[in-house]
Amino acid sequence: MNQLIYDIAVWLDDTAWSTAIHESYYLYNWIEATHVLTLMLSLGILFLIDMRMLGWALPNVPATRLAEKLNAPMLVGFVVMFITGILLFYAVPVRSAQSLWFRIKMVLLVVCAVNAYLFHKRMTQSLASWENEPKAPSALRRGAAISLAFWTVIVVCGRFIAYDWYDCDYGQTDLVRALAGCIDGQTRF
Amino acid sequence: MNSSSVSSRFTVLGPYPRTAVAVLLLGAALLFSFGGMRTSLYPELLSVFEWMETTWFGYVGKTWGGAFALVQGGHLVSLGVLGGSVLFSDGRLLGLFSSLPIRDVIDGAHKVFVGALIVVVATGVFMVCGVAVKVYYLPVFWYKMLTLTVGVLFAFFVRKPLLDRNIDQVNPWVVRLVAVSSVMVWFTVAATGRWIGFS
Repeated sequence: MNQLIYDIAVWLDDTAWSTAIHESYYLYNWIEATHVLTLMLSLGILFLIDMRMLGWALPNVPATRLAEKLNAPMLVGFVVMFITGILLFYAVPVRSAQSLWFRIKMVLLVVCAVNAYLFHKRMTQSLASWENEPKAPSALRRGAAISLAFWTVIVVCGRFIAYDWYDCDYGQTDLVRALAGCIDGQTRF
Repeated sequence: MNSSSVSSRFTVLGPYPRTAVAVLLLGAALLFSFGGMRTSLYPELLSVFEWMETTWFGYVGKTWGGAFALVQGGHLVSLGVLGGSVLFSDGRLLGLFSSLPIRDVIDGAHKVFVGALIVVVATGVFMVCGVAVKVYYLPVFWYKMLTLTVGVLFAFFVRKPLLDRNIDQVNPWVVRLVAVSSVMVWFTVAATGRWIGFS
């Protein structure tokens, strides 16, 4: 599996557009800045909804109506983050694919997506019964807490990707090499 | 001085005394920036930034890359929450999310904004301590400090006093102008902050 991921990453790395983005100071930085600044639209709004469910913020604003109204702008933010994230990966594919932090981030993204689906399902099932209560029912509060915690870890992992502590071109332990997907004798980093 | 004499003193400024104070402060900041004072004070500040690197924050920031990166993550999360509260509140002022009660949205979002701002500033101070001398020489760092000052003054001396009134009685175009200005100011703060990392 790691060999396949490495081969695909090397193939992407060989494409002209990958090199062009990577070597363009302004384009790469604009993409990265957009990726980070869209946090305000995606994560910022998501956290407002989560904090409302937990009773930490906006206690007088109807909860499900808040979630419904903020859903569209939040999704726009996540789409922009997704697109810019793919472009950032495409610009530096080999190092990203073998980044321990990137891999943890991807796993947590899947967990958060499942959590968001379950959260939305539970919210629509229990509609309006607690709309004006300062806190959501316990199952929804649990989902909101998981969302807050995991998204925070995702942002931290995203920040950690910039650091080279566990890069494959340095001597790493077998555990780190296995988790990061380092390939014996690999020539591209 | 009693309260009646204070209020009578402010009548000369009309109904927006804090706005007038904010405008004066901004004028003073611009005078400071583009007058001779900034260039004469700038060399003196280097010793302050050198001292910041010797503090415990500076030591941790320079020695433990993991701690520095962790705080960077916290800075980004709090920036996201700050931006979310601004976009939500100003979006409501611009007529989006119109089925949500405007007073509750503005008041609730402001509390979130203040909490996020405290975390943004606290984590930002920590981060600066780790690379104080480097950022001292970066023009974009000073642009960020300027826009942050403008943002804080705008939020607490212009936007908040205006929105504490009965919003229905405020000219809708003034409300929209304040909302657009708020989004632009905080976007600029975030963008200049991001650009520090590229410099």
